[in-house]
Amino acid sequence: MSNDHSKITYTIDHSTASQKVYDVVIVGSGISGSILANEIAKEGFSVLIVEAGPGKDLSLTGYEKLLNTFYTAVTKDNNAPYKSNPNAPMPRSPKVQKARLGHPNTDNYMVQNGPFVTDTSYSRVVGGTTMHWEAKTPRMLPEDFKMRTLFDKGLDWPITYRELQPYYRMAEKEIGVSGNVESQEFKHLDPITKEFSETSLYADNYVYPMHQMPPSYLDKCVAKDINGTTLELDGDKKELKVRSFPQGRNGIPNVEYRKYNNGEVYRPVAAVSSHQAEIGERCQGNNNCTPICPVQAKYDARKTLAKALRTGRVDLLPQTIASKVVVNPENGRVTSIEYKNYKDVNSSEYESGVLKGKIFILAANAIENARLMLASGLKSTSNLMGKNFMDHPYLLCWGLLPENTGTFRGTICTSGISDIRSGHFRRKQAAFAVDIHNDGWGWATGSPYTNLLDIVDNKNKYGTALRKELVSQVSRQLLLAFMVEMLPETSNKISVNPQYRDRLGNMRPVVSFHVPDYSMEGVAYGRELSKQLFQRLGAEDYSIYDPLDYGYVNYNGSGYAIRGGNHIAGTHIMGTSERNSVVNFKQRSWDYDNLFLIGAGSMPTIGTSNTTLTMAAMCFLSAEEVIKDLKKITSKTEIASPIYNSISG
Amino acid sequence: MDINLIEFQFFLKLSEKLTAFTSFQLQGTGVAEAYYSTVKNVVGVTIFQELIDTFNKIQTDSDDETSLDKEIRHRILSNSKLGPVARNIIKMWFVGTWYQLPNYWLEKYGVSNSDSTFVVSENAYKEGLLWPTIGAHPMGAKAPGYGTWEDPPKIPTV
Ligand SMILES: Cc1cc2nc3c(=O)[nH]c(=O)nc-3n(C[C@H](O)[C@H](O)[C@H](O)COP(=O)(O)OP(=O)(O)OC[C@H]3O[C@@H](n4cnc5c(N)ncnc54)[C@H](O)[C@@H]3O)c2cc1C
Ligand code: SF4
Repeated sequence: MSNDHSKITYTIDHSTASQKVYDVVIVGSGISGSILANEIAKEGFSVLIVEAGPGKDLSLTGYEKLLNTFYTAVTKDNNAPYKSNPNAPMPRSPKVQKARLGHPNTDNYMVQNGPFVTDTSYSRVVGGTTMHWEAKTPRMLPEDFKMRTLFDKGLDWPITYRELQPYYRMAEKEIGVSGNVESQEFKHLDPITKEFSETSLYADNYVYPMHQMPPSYLDKCVAKDINGTTLELDGDKKELKVRSFPQGRNGIPNVEYRKYNNGEVYRPVAAVSSHQAEIGERCQGNNNCTPICPVQAKYDARKTLAKALRTGRVDLLPQTIASKVVVNPENGRVTSIEYKNYKDVNSSEYESGVLKGKIFILAANAIENARLMLASGLKSTSNLMGKNFMDHPYLLCWGLLPENTGTFRGTICTSGISDIRSGHFRRKQAAFAVDIHNDGWGWATGSPYTNLLDIVDNKNKYGTALRKELVSQVSRQLLLAFMVEMLPETSNKISVNPQYRDRLGNMRPVVSFHVPDYSMEGVAYGRELSKQLFQRLGAEDYSIYDPLDYGYVNYNGSGYAIRGGNHIAGTHIMGTSERNSVVNFKQRSWDYDNLFLIGAGSMPTIGTSNTTLTMAAMCFLSAEEVIKDLKKITSKTEIASPIYNSISG
Repeated sequence: MDINLIEFQFFLKLSEKLTAFTSFQLQGTGVAEAYYSTVKNVVGVTIFQELIDTFNKIQTDSDDETSLDKEIRHRILSNSKLGPVARNIIKMWFVGTWYQLPNYWLEKYGVSNSDSTFVVSENAYKEGLLWPTIGAHPMGAKAPGYGTWEDPPKIPTV
């Protein structure tokens, strides 16, 4: 791995790329596309990655520019480090506005039909959305794969937890997860006996590559009062406990992990193309994982992409938007991808062309994969393309603790409550996981900025009084975020409409979305639980949900402001046949044999896990399948001398 | 700019009062001059001068902290021309952002087109006084180091 700090240069122009027939053409350089590219290239095959966003961010100076844009941005939203790019637009949460009945909301890149308007977002840049993800990496539970069988809700996966387990391990190695297996050993249902199981979720005394992130002081204060809370839910007795979350950021390697790493201690992956060893090592507690980690301690897909580029067999075409998937109607195989390449984000000029390969992989994320397929006129036999759109609805509850516990310290979230992720109650209401936020009320109220403005403009304080009031208002903040399960429904969907296009003429995604009652039942239960927890903590409850809020949902007489979860999924679900799904469990399209649609779009349910780890596991499984195909249809391409200059120094 | 300028020194004195940080601490941020120029540019020399002069007079007129506080409220913070400017100076020191002045102010006293909400500079963001006030660090900068978040916050007493 001495190459880790080497400089990556990648040069390919569109006319050269257009003349080649690649073994594989991948759309999207996010974690999904990068894992596939690296795995396939390692086996000696040629790969072309088509990426809509600009590619300068692969260098350290490019990355530092992003940081600077972030520091000087007035609104520090999830996409703050990225300048707006009308040629490959992305959703931006501050632009979200309340829906008006019968009028689609068209201000933002995503056209929203409502009734629920979501502020969910993703990034169209090299490295994709992991550039600003928070990097929580819990696994899904065995019961999550069997929702229909166990609870008569949602759908079953065509694959079980146990079958996915080896791929979870690959994903945890690739991302570099810091975590503690014991903290994840809460009671969960055995899908076969349907009773709570004592068997470990992990098997073989598995450990994560690195030790858990130390829990914050706030976590410890909260745990003192919350641990031991008992409750009864649909006949199940539960005892709550604050547990640490596994996360994809560099911590202290666990020597026990050698067993799972060819006898070697895990070596944290440093910054991409950095020459400075101190950058990209351990998490330093910048509390800025979303939108951008200044020291690259957090995993982002460029770390995998850089490895792929270093094989010398991967070409990357940035600023290139896949605009159409072209199919030969005679044999139902994809023949090429049409693209639009823009030279400058400030100009609408572009050149178009065609890229050829043997196998095609769409890894543009759940919304963009479906958008591209539908814009290409490619529905599916099941007619499910774009349907079953899912995302975790979040309910935020915030209060003030009796003592200063400190805010804006450490990573955004180190611990939470996981006990209500599992149980028989799931036949009636959604499960959820609860995050304890180390960044105070920021997500709910825009704290600490809003506190400062309030204290200066309304509380009329300055000097010493101002400083005291700041501490009193900010340092006691507690925010609990309830990440609630959502099930697939065909009416929740992504579609396209020729009326709505971006600057280059590509059709924009149109979202039709409502939060199902099943989830709202979980939301309502979560709100009641938050009140109970605040009581135990002696905390003052400040949660209010404004009816004018764009995410306001009325349920059973109470109103809640729901936030988007940024876990977009389910638009090309996997299943057992071309009639009930879009792809099979290897993420191969039922309709087009040499096409794979990969990413969270393939997930039939999302349980209460942030989606990326599971999607990464699925990608490792798909990579095996693509490689098998390639070995069949082609003798290996000769390992030509690398196109890239990957020399250290 | 000549930082020995008497006007700049008065700006620092005023900032000390408004923020309860010492002039030494304020200068330690390295962005004091940038703030001084920002206010002057956006509100114009005349109003800036008026603010400084008023503060000066208040200082000479008041003989203890209580009367100083009262005069700052009476003659600066409650003044429709000077109050919003003073409050903006406070906000700028705490988070590095210049906030656009209220509409009524702009209509009545506005001179410059450059009045919008903006972050003064990358360093201004990083040097915001809010963060040390609450025993934290600006998000995304001045990272405290691995595991430091396990300990109680160190909140300075004022
Ligand atoms: C604020 C935030 C916090 C999050 N936190 C977590 C978390 O803690 N844990 C977790 O598991 N998940 C989290 N997520 C979700 C996670 O980031 C995504 O699940 C993951 O990054 C998706 O990876 P992907 O490769 O499938 O898609 P993406 O990362 O979205 O990558 C798709 C790529 O395709 C490119 N592309 C799109 N359209 C085209 C086109 N037409 N032509 C060419 N290229 C195209 C895009 O530019 C992009 O590079 C978070 C997301 C957000 C926004
Ligand atoms: S807390 Fe900071 S150093 Fe750690 S991963 Fe997040 S942004 Fe990076």
